[in-house]
Amino acid sequence: MVQLTLPQNSKVQKGKTWPKPQGAKNLREFRIYRYSPEEKGNPRWDTYWVDMDKAGTMILDVLFYIKNTIDPTLAFRRSCREGVCGSCAMNIAGRNTIACTKGFDELPGGVISISPLPHLPVIRDLIPDLTNFYAQHAYVQPFLKTDSPTPEKEWRQSEEDRAQLDGLYECILCASCSTSCPSYWWNGDKYLGPAALLQAYRWLIDSRDEATGERLDDLEDPFKLYRCHTIMNCAQVCPKGLNPAQAIAKIKHMMVERVS
Amino acid sequence: MSNSPFVTPAKTTRGLGASKTGTSHHIRQRVSALALIVLVPWFLFSIMSAALGGYADALAWVGSPLNATLLVLTAGAAFYHMRLGMQAVIEDYIGKTGTRAALLILNTFFAAGLFVAVVMSVIRVWAG
Repeated sequence: MVQLTLPQNSKVQKGKTWPKPQGAKNLREFRIYRYSPEEKGNPRWDTYWVDMDKAGTMILDVLFYIKNTIDPTLAFRRSCREGVCGSCAMNIAGRNTIACTKGFDELPGGVISISPLPHLPVIRDLIPDLTNFYAQHAYVQPFLKTDSPTPEKEWRQSEEDRAQLDGLYECILCASCSTSCPSYWWNGDKYLGPAALLQAYRWLIDSRDEATGERLDDLEDPFKLYRCHTIMNCAQVCPKGLNPAQAIAKIKHMMVERVS
Repeated sequence: MSNSPFVTPAKTTRGLGASKTGTSHHIRQRVSALALIVLVPWFLFSIMSAALGGYADALAWVGSPLNATLLVLTAGAAFYHMRLGMQAVIEDYIGKTGTRAALLILNTFFAAGLFVAVVMSVIRVWAG
């Protein structure tokens, strides 16, 4: 049976309230998920007060503010800080997104909670274990596959065919979509998830790729592909504005096309 | 599949391989839905007008060849669509292989039983 509640040792408990910064006029309360494998006990919600006049403009800036001025033990992934690498994906105010492009002005009022991407094992604080997610990406073989002799210069493509890849190639593999998908929560070991399937479609639709049939063979499965029930959480949360649900629908369309 | 920490993510993801099925389920679910878009409004409208007249009118309603045909078609499409939908729900939420298989079989028997009950009822009316 699907697990609807957290296991006993994953239930998040009330944690520490960190002192308010002195002399701050514009304070905002943040609740952040904390977990350390070295410490015994359950994960906890720690409360931090952030001086919004000094913290910058994005949620990643808030995390840096906390790490630099309040609590240096807070762990999170980040790299490019401009929405290109996908490292800082997390759940902010109940919605998966990347912290570096999420501005304060987009947030709802009240306390802002920040937790790791849902339904993944947590390594530490806001850092989830993405190994399975990457294995799913590898499964769709995200590279050009051809049998024809390689052209001397390059594989060519018409402008129209190149345009087919728009809305697909921009994916940064942040995992916001897959970890927002209930089907992925319940069957994440067997369902490939929206991110991997969007990448699968990116190669299925590439006019230069010659392995379309084999790619469809590898996807045609009640669990690997057809667990998508068009819930659309993936499209709702994608920080790059992509639509994995539509890509999956197009894969299903290709499946129907080849049997009819 | 094994839950051992030594099993690699690639092994988990590949699993038993793609079964090369699921497309016919996808098509059948949509085709039965299309049929139901027409059949369900007809059924509701028609049965309500028939039921208002009491038992004798209802018998006469089923006695009409057109009504009987559409009634059996409605039941067939609805129970088939229900079976396909329940299959997806069971696959979504029931992880244990044995329990899932048992429920999938029961689901098929239940839908088939309902359909046969409708057909037998129509035959009974027709046989007088």
